[in-house]
Amino acid sequence: MMDDIKENRVEYFILFVAILVFMFLVYRFRFNKEMLILLSGVGSALYVIWGVVHHLIRGKLTKNIAYEYILFGLLVFLLFFTVLSF
Amino acid sequence: MFDYTKDYNENSNENTNVVKYWRKHPKSIEKYQFVHYFLPKEDKKKRADFLDNKAILVYCVLILAISLVFRFIPKFAPGVLGYASNITISDLLKYTNQKREENGVAPLKLNAKLSAAAEKKAQDMFKDGYWAHVAPDGTQPWDFILSEGYEYIYAGENLAKNFSNSKEVVEAWFKSPSHKSNLIGANYDEVGFAVVNGVMDGYETTLVVQMFGRPRQPSMLATVGSEGELFGENKASAEGIESEASRLGESTSSQQQENIVSETKENLGEEYPSFTQSNAEPVIDVTTATKSISLAFGIFVSILLALDIIYSRKRGIRKFTGLTLAHFMVLIMVIISIWLVFKPGLII
Repeated sequence: MMDDIKENRVEYFILFVAILVFMFLVYRFRFNKEMLILLSGVGSALYVIWGVVHHLIRGKLTKNIAYEYILFGLLVFLLFFTVLSF
Repeated sequence: MFDYTKDYNENSNENTNVVKYWRKHPKSIEKYQFVHYFLPKEDKKKRADFLDNKAILVYCVLILAISLVFRFIPKFAPGVLGYASNITISDLLKYTNQKREENGVAPLKLNAKLSAAAEKKAQDMFKDGYWAHVAPDGTQPWDFILSEGYEYIYAGENLAKNFSNSKEVVEAWFKSPSHKSNLIGANYDEVGFAVVNGVMDGYETTLVVQMFGRPRQPSMLATVGSEGELFGENKASAEGIESEASRLGESTSSQQQENIVSETKENLGEEYPSFTQSNAEPVIDVTTATKSISLAFGIFVSILLALDIIYSRKRGIRKFTGLTLAHFMVLIMVIISIWLVFKPGLII
């Protein structure tokens, strides 16, 4: 795990900061459902882009890996949306 | 001298015996086969079966299917799904005035006419199935206030639904600039509340209506008596307050009256009953159910990812996949957000 972090230091730093910003925004707009749904959509999309760009830069992007990020992004969005849509 | 050969042979024999036993009784280990679905594949350099793309797609479809079921249940069985709540007018008034005092504004007095107007508005929303300040037939909030004989100089309305408790309702209003301007508006002297349960769009729902006003004539300002009457079940106490006010004579100043009210409230403590209160208990609480479903899927996938990280490190497995740690971090963020922050209520 540490090797993985060392190898992808910059990418993980960006992801970590993005997660902190996202959590701050979720807290800030915790009473605004529409904004939370928007944040979930944008957050999930950004994660997919982050993953694809990371693998693209390293020359390791395959169809399967791209699908994997798209599916994880979709899963993250659906987990939020299930709570927010009711 | 220690005999390594003997030790090795003993272990080897023991293993051989175990393997022989398994071959003879394959069913004894069959029940543990499922473990392989949770662990990464060393030979294929892949994640566990329950974490590959097909499995994630299945989870997404399952979550969508459950959401759809939750959408359809109210159509076939109205009122089964809903939003459990415990909202009281006494708490709404308390938190509203707390916010006003924190912002240096005089507290509001509960007014029976405004409360009756709020109740009418809530009933109208259930009857005509709308959730808005203006009714589909064009009826304005002010029409409800005027129909109760409350003539105002200033009036305002805040609405909320699907909240679980009074504090969350007031906090939500306070966080929204337009609602906040009503909540701590210095133009208002009085307030009325209605907390009404009913079925809207098939869901058991609690609507909260808050109506603000400043009467045209100062003499219309809520008296101790009328405020007491709003706590209906406590009518005897209300009469007590009124008679106490009468005992002080007609010249009783409003300051004195206010003291009596606050004193009485203090005496009754948190127990003083409210005019209307909501203790909605649907068969299935949508908030809890959707939160539980999301958390269950999120935690399940997170555990699988954590297993993948630990097992792969232990066995030195390098896989041709996306970054497992990144997926894990994002899912933990999702779990924390859903667990701690997400509130289900809506305000307009």
